Amino acid sequence: MPDTPATVLVRDLVKSYGNVRALRGVDFEVRPAEIFGLLGRNGAGKTTTLECVLGLRRPDSGSIRIGDVDARAQPERAKAMVGAQLQGATLQDRITPRQALRFFASFHGTESRSSELIERFGITACADVAFTTLSGGQRQRLFLALAFVHDPAVVVLDEPTSGLDPQIRRELRSLIAERRATGVTVLLSTHDLSEAEQLCDRVGILHDGRLVVTGSPEELIRRSARTPRLRVETRDPLDLSAVARMPGVAHCGSEGGTTRVDASDLNHVIAALGEHLTATANVLIDLRIDRPSLEDAFVDLTGGQWEGSR
Amino acid sequence: MGGIAVTKVRPIHGAWCHFLLTLRLNLRSRQALVYGYAVPVLFLLGFGGVFRGETPLLANEMGQLLTITILGGACFGMPTALVAERERGVWRRYRLLPVTMPVLMAGTLAARLAIIGSAVALQLVLARLLFGTPPPAQPVFASIAFLAVTAAFLGLGLLIAALADDVPAVQALGQCVFLPMILIGGVGVPLAILPAWAQHAASFMPGRYAVELLQQGYRPSLDPGNLRFAFLALAVIGVAAATLGVRLFRWDSGRHVGHTGLVAVAVALSAWIAVGCTAMATGRSAPLRSSETNYAQLSDVEIGTIRYDDLPGDNELATRLAPPFSHSPSGRVAALAAWLKTWPGAATGEPVEDTRHLLGVAAIADVGADVNEAEIARVVYDELQARYDRGQLTKILAWIILHPDDGTTVTIAPELELRRGAPPEEVIRERSVLYAKKFLGRQVGRITAP
Repeated sequence: MPDTPATVLVRDLVKSYGNVRALRGVDFEVRPAEIFGLLGRNGAGKTTTLECVLGLRRPDSGSIRIGDVDARAQPERAKAMVGAQLQGATLQDRITPRQALRFFASFHGTESRSSELIERFGITACADVAFTTLSGGQRQRLFLALAFVHDPAVVVLDEPTSGLDPQIRRELRSLIAERRATGVTVLLSTHDLSEAEQLCDRVGILHDGRLVVTGSPEELIRRSARTPRLRVETRDPLDLSAVARMPGVAHCGSEGGTTRVDASDLNHVIAALGEHLTATANVLIDLRIDRPSLEDAFVDLTGGQWEGSR
Repeated sequence: MGGIAVTKVRPIHGAWCHFLLTLRLNLRSRQALVYGYAVPVLFLLGFGGVFRGETPLLANEMGQLLTITILGGACFGMPTALVAERERGVWRRYRLLPVTMPVLMAGTLAARLAIIGSAVALQLVLARLLFGTPPPAQPVFASIAFLAVTAAFLGLGLLIAALADDVPAVQALGQCVFLPMILIGGVGVPLAILPAWAQHAASFMPGRYAVELLQQGYRPSLDPGNLRFAFLALAVIGVAAATLGVRLFRWDSGRHVGHTGLVAVAVALSAWIAVGCTAMATGRSAPLRSSETNYAQLSDVEIGTIRYDDLPGDNELATRLAPPFSHSPSGRVAALAAWLKTWPGAATGEPVEDTRHLLGVAAIADVGADVNEAEIARVVYDELQARYDRGQLTKILAWIILHPDDGTTVTIAPELELRRGAPPEEVIRERSVLYAKKFLGRQVGRITAP
């Protein structure tokens, strides 16, 4: 278990592919033992950023430090501190998970950890079968285990739960969170905003090759212009003009038999709604509060729609 | 910034594990086993079925056969495996390792060397069991030659892997290297039976030098001059290709070499051109007109057409020949007899050429009126009988008689202390043919003198 704090520091990262500017000066910092998530649409530059951090791509300019190591000047030294799981990276058809773990560990002299990793990442049942016969979930568990094979201080994960069923996603998230609890710093990219909300201590939103905002998911949601939304179902339809005059109501409307109320002040709205129902002898059947989400924050901050919501 | 403990990296141990893993995975692949071992065995059976005119079988074709095996493993097997792994994303995963590309490549290349080496060993054993082909007469040299040839071809394989975007492209590029060498490079078709233009063309291709080196391992003595050039040629071609292959190496299938690839091909080919031009400038690409295959195909009818009634007697002025030695010769004749066994002029590896040069020694002594001319001729005849069995010697001598202007001959042999004069080549050729007839007549019983 790493006992020294780990930090990733990225400054003014610029990368172009021909005439396409993929990164236009990306800055962020990952603090010790936190999970930092990079969010963004396809093509926003998430994978390029991670590949630059991992030394797989040479940035045009900018600096990357992992701990005290300049990752651009000493890529091999930086890689020795980082574990990674990459999209598009795979293994030979006939290699077994046990062999793969032992092989990748051999460069660090940590082969003896393979059995422990097999158990911890839940791949005991398939440890000795060919890679080609593994399910998607088993493969992803193996790749995660490979990222931890040398007990790294920093782990970089590119869409670690992409394409997996909800049960396995949940399991993998808890594995990642468990590792963070042991002091590992995690830098990940994800498409899944609810995952980012649950898993990440802080997130950064990449848009058009720039990191437009960083902060905890709660901070970003608070910055959102969206207000909490109440969905009220009553025995008799509510008088919309009366609702609109209630204190704390920003906007209201009806959807079928449900009244939708956007609240600038939730306390006042709920109190006024209760009084109104009593005064009109109406009966409340259901009341739901939709709080603004990270997706709302993303849409507000980037001025576009999140692909996952389409 | 927080300080982080850097994990200790063990590149050599990792490369060793990569080597072992590559070997294990290769043994689990049916396709790799077929291409790596079954195909070389089929080539062995094919060669054994085609080249049947000599004893022991395949002794003169093992260089070609082994070159094909090495070429297949290095220019098809290695790049196919490498590009297939790159296409799948295996090398993308490898790239996360804290070592440089040459460390990982070392494991891959070492594993391929072992795979090719085992295929070659299998061929040697099967050739011995099935056809009685002897093992290399010079095993140490044969091992060095194997390493040199494999290293050069693996260099070409690296370049192919760097240039090819996918596995079909490896096959296409591999064939561009393989087919010319098989057809006109002295690898598939023996160099000596190729037309002169093809033999010149072969001197631009590494296959020719690979065959030369590997075949030398089967010969009783080495020809240092030619060997040096063959080693040098393979080194130039192999190092140029390997350097470009390493520089253009791609971890990801998504990246392409583009126009740089054309420049790399041009640079790699310039090494081939440099080797070929040097070979031509130094006379190393001179066509071999006599051929082992051709002499071996001479029929008894053809040999029977040779006449012996124009031969001078053994004690006359020209082409004197001493009777068999009643006891071992001594002095200068004995020294000369010993010398002939290792004389580079009669160790070219071409039996017809070697015989013609030995006959030339007798002819030089004869024309120069050497005091031991008759004994020298007898020593030459004894040497020929020692080198070749009766059937082979009969055909070689008959071929020289029937093709008096073929190949090359010697007109001086100062290293044998035959220093007198430098007679015209046509005179030496004429006397050589007369001696060939005297020897052949004795071989086939048309001359009764011993």
